[in-house]
Amino acid sequence: MLSTFIANSPIWASIVITLVTITTYQLAAACQQKWQSIWLNPMLISICVLVPLLLILELNYQEYSQTTQILNLMLEPAIVALGFPLYQQLKQIRLHWREMTAILVFGIVIVISVSFILAMLLIKAPDIAIALSLKSVTTPIGITLTEQLFGDSSITAFAILIAGLFGALLGPQWLSFIGVNSAKAQGLAIGSASHVIGTAVLVRKSAEHGAYSSVALIFSAVLTALISPWLIPLLQQLFN
Amino acid sequence: MKNLFYTIFAISICLLLGKLANALLAALPASLYGMIIYALFLQLNWFSVARVTKTNQWFIKHMGVCLVPAGMGIIDNFQLIQQHGISLVAIIFSSTLLLLTVIGYLSERFLTTSNNNTAKTTTGSS
Repeated sequence: MLSTFIANSPIWASIVITLVTITTYQLAAACQQKWQSIWLNPMLISICVLVPLLLILELNYQEYSQTTQILNLMLEPAIVALGFPLYQQLKQIRLHWREMTAILVFGIVIVISVSFILAMLLIKAPDIAIALSLKSVTTPIGITLTEQLFGDSSITAFAILIAGLFGALLGPQWLSFIGVNSAKAQGLAIGSASHVIGTAVLVRKSAEHGAYSSVALIFSAVLTALISPWLIPLLQQLFN
Repeated sequence: MKNLFYTIFAISICLLLGKLANALLAALPASLYGMIIYALFLQLNWFSVARVTKTNQWFIKHMGVCLVPAGMGIIDNFQLIQQHGISLVAIIFSSTLLLLTVIGYLSERFLTTSNNNTAKTTTGSS
């Protein structure tokens, strides 16, 4: 029935479904503000509410994605807006750019290698191994790189979301638990492991957290784009 | 209201330049080029920091809603999750935890140390 409504009145369907998505997100955000629990992450709650709703209404993902295109379009300017916390900390960042680059290269090589080897041992499918290796970067880059290396990009999108949610929900607590408390270290770790989702959560803590997270998001994306085209073929040779 | 339009204009210009950079250089998505250009323009005072601050903070606070449609892509992966769900989640969790730990620990160890050294040098010289 809803599919017919979308086909007959695409504009109204877009308005209604986008409003439902925004309302769900805002209600979840209000709940999180009231109860201050990490498990009330607005994105996680929205997905938990909207997935069953779509299944009940027999609406597939393509139809949902089509009707909420305005939110997808808003993602690009929202990422550009992260340039503001980046600007606020430029002076601090200039002091450490060499150390940051070295640390991120080391982390990226380790995470690509570990993810690829684990996936080949447990799932034994090269396309899924490639997809999982590229989950620590922002979605557009992860998908582009996966397709370039003949991986399964739908798995990359799923893995990027899980990694993002994991870092956003548990990352700060885990880092505090292991004694990593500075805004710089937390920002770099969350930005490189959990990209935009982690940054969107971490930026609420302080401008410095947000700035370093944004920097890690950019550096990780650039470095992964440079490292993965030679590292992944090398790893593939290990299993041939 | 004027500041709202000013911020939208500033972000749009940077995104457009980002799209141009993406078309010429590829490598990074347009939005990431736009983010770097926006930070650069604010640093160069080509856009007024005072005028963009409030609206920009509002954008950042609410940007999470734009990620919901991408997250809903989970619906298309139900079959794979049924087949390899535990392995997939185990790989994602363990490698993300490893990356968080490695980057977090090294940053705390080397960046905080280098920061303290810089502070000591500055204090000493003054």
